[in-house]
Amino acid sequence: MPTPASALASASSSHRRASSDLMVRIGSADSEIKLRALRELKNQIIGNRTKKLFFLKLGAVPAVSCALAQAQAQAQADLLVQSAAALGSFACGFDAGVRAVLDSGAFANLVALLSFPDDKVVDAGARSLRMIYQSKLAPKYDFLQEKNMEFLLSLLNSENETVTGLGASIIIHSCETVVEQKALCNAGVLKKLTSLLEGSPSQKDASLESLATIIKKNPEAASKFVSESRRALSSVIDLSKDRNPRTRLLACMCLIVIRNTSPCHLQDIGIKTKLVYLLLELLDDPGQVGEEASFAFSSLLAQKEDLQKLAFEANAIDKLHNHLQKHLLQPRRYQGILLALAELCSKLESCRSRFLSLEVLNLVTDALTHEVADVRTAACICLRSVSRSIKSLSAGRFMKEMIVIPLVRLLHDPSTSVQVAALGAVSNIVVDFTTAKSTFLQCGGLKLLVQLSKSMDPILRFNALCGLRNLMFLADNTCKERIFLELTAPSLSSLICDPEPFVQERALALVRNLVDGCLDSIKYVFAEDGIILDAIGRQLQNTSKAEIGIQGMYVLSNIASGNEFHKEAVMHQLLLQVNNGTQAFILKFLQSNDSQLRTAAIWTIINLTIPSSPGASSRVVKLRSASIVSQIKTMVNDPCVDVKFRVSTALGQFMTIGDGST
Amino acid sequence: MPVRVVESSAPSQVSDFTPGMHTFECWTGCSLAPFFFSPYAFSGTQNVSSLQKEEAWRVNVRIQGCDLEHGYLCGTMEALNVPMADTPVVTFWEGEIVDTINYTFFTGKWEATPEDDKKHWDKFLSFAPFKSQVEFDGGKTVDLSNYPYIFMRWKEQYFVNVGTDCGLTIAGFYYVCFSCSDGSISGYYYDPNSSPFQKLELKSTNEGRSGFSFSSYELQ
Repeated sequence: MPTPASALASASSSHRRASSDLMVRIGSADSEIKLRALRELKNQIIGNRTKKLFFLKLGAVPAVSCALAQAQAQAQADLLVQSAAALGSFACGFDAGVRAVLDSGAFANLVALLSFPDDKVVDAGARSLRMIYQSKLAPKYDFLQEKNMEFLLSLLNSENETVTGLGASIIIHSCETVVEQKALCNAGVLKKLTSLLEGSPSQKDASLESLATIIKKNPEAASKFVSESRRALSSVIDLSKDRNPRTRLLACMCLIVIRNTSPCHLQDIGIKTKLVYLLLELLDDPGQVGEEASFAFSSLLAQKEDLQKLAFEANAIDKLHNHLQKHLLQPRRYQGILLALAELCSKLESCRSRFLSLEVLNLVTDALTHEVADVRTAACICLRSVSRSIKSLSAGRFMKEMIVIPLVRLLHDPSTSVQVAALGAVSNIVVDFTTAKSTFLQCGGLKLLVQLSKSMDPILRFNALCGLRNLMFLADNTCKERIFLELTAPSLSSLICDPEPFVQERALALVRNLVDGCLDSIKYVFAEDGIILDAIGRQLQNTSKAEIGIQGMYVLSNIASGNEFHKEAVMHQLLLQVNNGTQAFILKFLQSNDSQLRTAAIWTIINLTIPSSPGASSRVVKLRSASIVSQIKTMVNDPCVDVKFRVSTALGQFMTIGDGST
Repeated sequence: MPVRVVESSAPSQVSDFTPGMHTFECWTGCSLAPFFFSPYAFSGTQNVSSLQKEEAWRVNVRIQGCDLEHGYLCGTMEALNVPMADTPVVTFWEGEIVDTINYTFFTGKWEATPEDDKKHWDKFLSFAPFKSQVEFDGGKTVDLSNYPYIFMRWKEQYFVNVGTDCGLTIAGFYYVCFSCSDGSISGYYYDPNSSPFQKLELKSTNEGRSGFSFSSYELQ
């Protein structure tokens, strides 16, 4: 019903008056008035974010904090309970509220309430502190101080379940390092938490979450938990069947942490299958449990082909697809489902095949334009995963405007994590074995990739180069020329000499693809007085990293497969240092422990000494003078079969050419 | 390479693994590497002669992916002078490497019996040292890791540039042998409904270069 504007203004002003009045009453000297005001405030803000913010701006938190301190001095239990509860409500799920409570100095007073003789006061204090510890803003608890550990144990040993819950919340919030995990294990916390698995519903949940925190990525803690008592692991397994969905989820998460930390545990196919089905069922929960279940599911599947196969057999793709089709998905749920699909499609072609046949791709493409950055990132990760299919890349299934256009837009997303994820998907999609790379260029993707390759952020430079390297892979001449003109020779040589070795390696891999294919493409490394080739030579001379050596040697090998001028240019790079009196880098590479590097080096020699090339004979003489031929002769029984065969090819060529030394 | 349709083609198989998150060359480590770790090109012919007519189609093959850990490789095959096609016909194929870990000499599918397998493998001279062992236990105990030949099966999965109504079939598959020393490939096409023992002969190509050139990509 329409309401006159004046009526609205009047209502708002009366609300402000009432609120100001409430604030006055909180500061009243009359205990009864103060108590009623605190209760009223608490009731108004419970579960109401807008009201919390409104009263926060009115300065309610310092006022309540003051009331708490006064009540503490006078040991007024009712006032303590209400003021603690009001502060807890401000802190509940509301970071600005937590900040205000901490700034008001109430934290120490709330801790002091835990020693109060009245159980109700203790309970209110513990409840309030739990709210605070659920926020990242809560102060870090130092477990390494003996007194603190004793205090924590006293909380966990309490008869009051809110207090034990507080102890668990402190662990969940503050236990981050292996040292802290170890300290908690040594103090007997695992044992205590295991006993709480048989406590009240809230104790079970708190205990499961704390156990997962202490065990996560700490195999020693995982083994201790499993071996300390026979009951421990079976209690967690039993809780995965609990009637409360949240308990089931937390039990699953705890089991996943144990398995991911120590893969030797929970290898039984039965438990693995059960976890898959349980989590798929929990996804149906309309609340937070459903949201979190998708993340737990991703964690269960991550890097594990066997579990991905089980999930596939449990129709996980279809189920996730059904969830994705629902309208108005909450961003976190949306993100979780996309990430779960990404994990499922990360290794198995059968999953990708099902994903594509259900046309999930269209829904994922829609998510690329979602307003929330985390959803856009998850959509890119999902796309990256499904585009690992060479079978689909060969069929040109991804190089389509409906995918490429929104993806290219994300390359200049304000969020770096979105940019990095988009680069991951782009890198795969541009491999495209068909001749459709032009679609990407037409959408403006090349310009953006080149821009990002010059970013100040090395991660962005690296990922942009991954994309450019794959775009260059088997590209036709027109495409190569466009990439080179956009990138320019000076930029490319700077990237080869980038301060970060992983960027150097990618830049060299890009040049390797540039000079592959049509013979004419070798000309690019000679542009601008050969600055690219010189940069490669310098890097190869100076590097100690095999990966850089491998890519660099393949660039030289590809150039050496060209004409006489190209071969001589490579010879110049190989022997430059010899002429300066130092060891040639190729000798170092031929002697490397890395068989791939030895292979790359020997291919260069093969290409330089192809018997049909006119200058082969003189090059063999020069290689012999530089002790390269004698080095190759020592490699006839190389432990790597690849190297052995190529050594045999090279020696055969030397013989054909008639070097006389073989 | 597709062949003329004799009967309706069999449904294509879905391989359960494709490589991911690795650079192409990272999958190397055995003797396939020199020619296979880079998407390498091969060209040659497939003899499609029948009793009525001597005929060979020119064929180009490009390896697009290889994952030795899972005994997987894939690529495209282009048939150039197919009589009933206006353009070269390109197919995508997936391969199984006989490594006795992921795959043995026995196919166990695609309508190939152990007898068919033995008859085809027997065509390769390089198979001779394993013949008796394969007769005995399917060659499960044979060590192929340092052998200078690689045995494979290639199965075409779909037509890349023409429709399935092109009058050609990809129902069969190839028994393939790759020579690590010279990079040559020979193979025999098997399809119970096509001419038997159509021979495939391929040599590595260097696309007009005086040597060998290698590119690489990485799927993230």
